[in-house]
Amino acid sequence: MAGRVALAAFAALLAAFLVLPVLAVVPAAFSARSFIRLPPEAWSVRWWGTFFGDPSWRRALLKSVEVAVLATLVAVPLGTAAALGLARLRGIVRRLALALFVGPVVVPVIVLAVALYAVARSAGLVGTTAALVLGHAMLALPYVALNVGVSLAALDPALGRAAAGLGASSWRLFRTVTLPLILPGVVGGAVFAFVTSFDEVVLSVFLAGPSAKTLPVRIWEEIRVEYTPVVAVAATFMMALAILAAASFRLLRRRRA
Amino acid sequence: MLDRLAGRLGPAALLLPAVALLAVVFVLPLLRLLELSFSDPAGAATPYVELLHDPIYRKVFAATAWVAVAVTAITVLLGYPFALALARAPLRWRVILFACVLTPLWISVLVRTFSWMLLLETNGPVNRLLVAGGIVERPLALLFNQTGVLIGMVHVLLPYAVLPIYAALVRVDPALLRASEGLGASPARTFLRVLLPLSMPGVATGGAFVFLLSLGFFITPALLGGASSITLSMLIDGFVNERLVWPLAAAASMILLAATLAFLAMAARFVAPAAVAEVR
Repeated sequence: MAGRVALAAFAALLAAFLVLPVLAVVPAAFSARSFIRLPPEAWSVRWWGTFFGDPSWRRALLKSVEVAVLATLVAVPLGTAAALGLARLRGIVRRLALALFVGPVVVPVIVLAVALYAVARSAGLVGTTAALVLGHAMLALPYVALNVGVSLAALDPALGRAAAGLGASSWRLFRTVTLPLILPGVVGGAVFAFVTSFDEVVLSVFLAGPSAKTLPVRIWEEIRVEYTPVVAVAATFMMALAILAAASFRLLRRRRA
Repeated sequence: MLDRLAGRLGPAALLLPAVALLAVVFVLPLLRLLELSFSDPAGAATPYVELLHDPIYRKVFAATAWVAVAVTAITVLLGYPFALALARAPLRWRVILFACVLTPLWISVLVRTFSWMLLLETNGPVNRLLVAGGIVERPLALLFNQTGVLIGMVHVLLPYAVLPIYAALVRVDPALLRASEGLGASPARTFLRVLLPLSMPGVATGGAFVFLLSLGFFITPALLGGASSITLSMLIDGFVNERLVWPLAAAASMILLAATLAFLAMAARFVAPAAVAEVR
């Protein structure tokens, strides 16, 4: 009994350790001073005004949204098609294809960043939106394929046979049977892809150059030197968006289950 | 027309666009990096020889391995009892605890690391609490050293240890535990002789995950660590952005990649590569 209580207390402590530290950026974002001290001695929303008013922060925010939307638009159709293809493969070919698809997740991101930077530099693509979009789409692709794959695996194959037996073509079968049923997986994959891109730091730091800085790149540059509470505002903003995405993802999963 | 075209779409056609993207943005750049690593004018293998022999770089390799081992050990030791509590919690608590494990994974590592920078400062809340509580006399140096790196990395990587251990624990047949207790074993003995051995595959998987992710971790060590705790990923960044030595940067990247793949091959028994993506 005492063991049970001790275990529960330990779990509560560790849960607090997992969740609470992240929240430190929230009070820091409402500081009235030009430096961060926790808890702030005086409160204000002035740094929120700075964040949304300052052209360089606003540009970074818009760039992040632009890149994340485009990367999602690239990764979702490619990842969905790939998941459909992977589901039909068997044996060694399937294992090879899977190995290629998890590659971007397994290879350390710093290695990917340096490799992409080397290629983008000689192609003159550093500092372009295209470089960021392609890099982020590559990182998001495995997650999309995986999410769609999970939905596909839950599909009843009899449905496909029935539709084919009734004379439906593959495209019609996909459009009227498969796609509606795997849609939660596709949308879940899209949420994932968007967040993967929006949160991405390392590839972006290497590829952004001076002209395509995203929000995480701006935060990264600020906190490596001296920072004001506006960084905490940016961090709070990113956190709020991430929690929103997590909640919507969970809703989608519930609907799928 | 479209129907007939689509009817012929085999797996190859479906995979082609994604494979093309990966070929251009993933495979090709890595091959280019491999080529760059042998491009030193002083001799093709020079960067590798330098990296593997210079005591400064060897210290970096040792520090990287040490951090990865320490983070793995700490996350498994903390994660096991947490996973056990999770498996035994009543449903409502389990939902809450699960949310505590999964939600942080959605928040950018950059934001989570920045939070620790604010908390661990010399005059930050953690130090003020320690001093006010009489635990230490003077504020501790918790930032820009190995302590900071360990705290930050354990915080970020703990969920990757908890989830596989939890999965292994709930797979254990409760009838086995009842049988052990029915035969007169104490709860401690039942844990040590039945539950712990049966959940070991989960520990191995979780540990392998954390170790794999630790090896190449960049953001957290770069922000919370200092000059005395340089890891391989920070070294690579320095080669590219400060010293502009491409052959060394490329060779160091290849060494990190080789170490990662070698570990993955060794750990393939515990970790299906696809599972790395699944956890997130």
